[in-house]
Amino acid sequence: MNSLMVRRVIFHTDQLFELQLERGAVTFEPGHCVALSMDATESRPYSIASGTGEDILRFLIRRVPQGLVSNWLAERRPGERVQVSAPFGWFAPGRSATEEQSVFIATGTGIAPFLSYLRSQPPRLPLACFYGVSYAEEALGLEELRCVPHFRLAVSRQTIDNAFVGRVTGLLDQLPLGPGLHYYLCGLDAMIDEISRWLEKQDIDFTQIHREVFFYADETR
Amino acid sequence: MPMKHDNNWLLSSKGEKRGYIQPQLLHELWFHTGTSCNLRCPFCFEGSKPGDDRLEFLTLEDAKVFIDEAVDLGVEKFSFTGGEPFVNPHFVDILDYALDHKPCLVLTNATEPLMNQFAKVKAFSAKPHTLSFRISLDHPDPVKHDESRGKGNFKKALDTLGRLYREGFGVSIARLMLKEEDSKAIDSAYLPYFRRAGVPLDVKIIKFPEFHKPGSMPHVPEITEDCMTRYLSTSQRDGFMCNYSKMIVKQQGVCGVYACTLVDDDGNYNLGKTLKEAMSVRVMLKHHRCYSCFAYGASCSEGNCNTEGKEGEATACSA
Repeated sequence: MNSLMVRRVIFHTDQLFELQLERGAVTFEPGHCVALSMDATESRPYSIASGTGEDILRFLIRRVPQGLVSNWLAERRPGERVQVSAPFGWFAPGRSATEEQSVFIATGTGIAPFLSYLRSQPPRLPLACFYGVSYAEEALGLEELRCVPHFRLAVSRQTIDNAFVGRVTGLLDQLPLGPGLHYYLCGLDAMIDEISRWLEKQDIDFTQIHREVFFYADETR
Repeated sequence: MPMKHDNNWLLSSKGEKRGYIQPQLLHELWFHTGTSCNLRCPFCFEGSKPGDDRLEFLTLEDAKVFIDEAVDLGVEKFSFTGGEPFVNPHFVDILDYALDHKPCLVLTNATEPLMNQFAKVKAFSAKPHTLSFRISLDHPDPVKHDESRGKGNFKKALDTLGRLYREGFGVSIARLMLKEEDSKAIDSAYLPYFRRAGVPLDVKIIKFPEFHKPGSMPHVPEITEDCMTRYLSTSQRDGFMCNYSKMIVKQQGVCGVYACTLVDDDGNYNLGKTLKEAMSVRVMLKHHRCYSCFAYGASCSEGNCNTEGKEGEATACSA
């Protein structure tokens, strides 16, 4: 367990913030999570959103109503310390990128592992990235994401220029398909289930669909 | 180093000689891959959760030493538990090495960590030894399963069960044993789901009683020498896991050999640094989970144990 100092807490909306911690000696790969601890018993896993070359660890966090850890983290001040587990994970966006092309699909803070990948000087950009949020102000990392050849933003509760109005699943007919493509899905379980099923119906092999589900645990527990 | 034993290691609280097992032959070697898990189930007897490091990730270098020693000692099978084994970044390499030597069993929740590595797992069907999976399906009711494991995880686990079976791997399931349950009725309730997954209807169902959290001290009857000879036959005593099995655990950077899969929260059961050393140590049945083995049989293991549960008789042993 590492004890890392808070550098900044940046609120993008009332509910959505970026926690920045001094990196210390932590080493990680894009896609890795760490458990951030409030005390000896309460911790939650969060994906790292920073690049492997940065001197800070960034986390994109949504405050969960009555959520113990997310609200505690939102109240941290620069200089305070947070207990951080060793990085771990089973989701490796772009791991196949040196040989095969990738497609990234995210909702909400599920964009974090993809931002980590894009901020880590990857050997190859993904072919496409589809990103769904509720409101435009919740869309983070757009500077990096707009470098992806086929980047599409879906905003479900607001109409803005250059964005699809609706859920990210409404963009499925625009999703690149091919036998050599690997699909990396991160975010809400309903989105992941729907897109996984749809991809398998398009004859994409199960082994080419990679998933990272957020929010399935009851954060208030 | 094995811990120096407590004063009450040999005697019960009433001063009677504790029951014990003198290990005979190493049949099965378990590896604890680490307590980190992608899920956070409230009943987990390992206390596993994301990022947990009470028990650390085993590496290939850690495991190789014990795999090689176990093969020399005549082991017949390797088994792996966690945490969720597929969360350990070294696990696929460990399994790859183990399958070159003996059949393997993996206990898994069969969700994202395994699903995301399915391509590598599929390739293991070509290995020289067989691979089996025991998948946690706590209840035959998806809603009850998902209450603890997260929404949608029953369906994922069932789906993965079917995929593994279709790839030619052995499959079984693990479920929670409820107090005073109608075991036959509960087992039967799984059949529609087995049909849906396309697996045989006689898939083995392993039942686990309540084991309590790591470090907890629930009151259970103490097992004395007299209990072991009065209520159990020789073959039933031989069926205790600590007789024919051991488990490798890594803590604070050091691997140790523990008596079985259920006692890794008590340093008294760290029996040594080598299997040979550990197999020579008499295992005193002091841990509260030893009583589960006494009362219900060694449910962690599959196909190695001929002990049938003796609940009615065993509960009489409450010295």
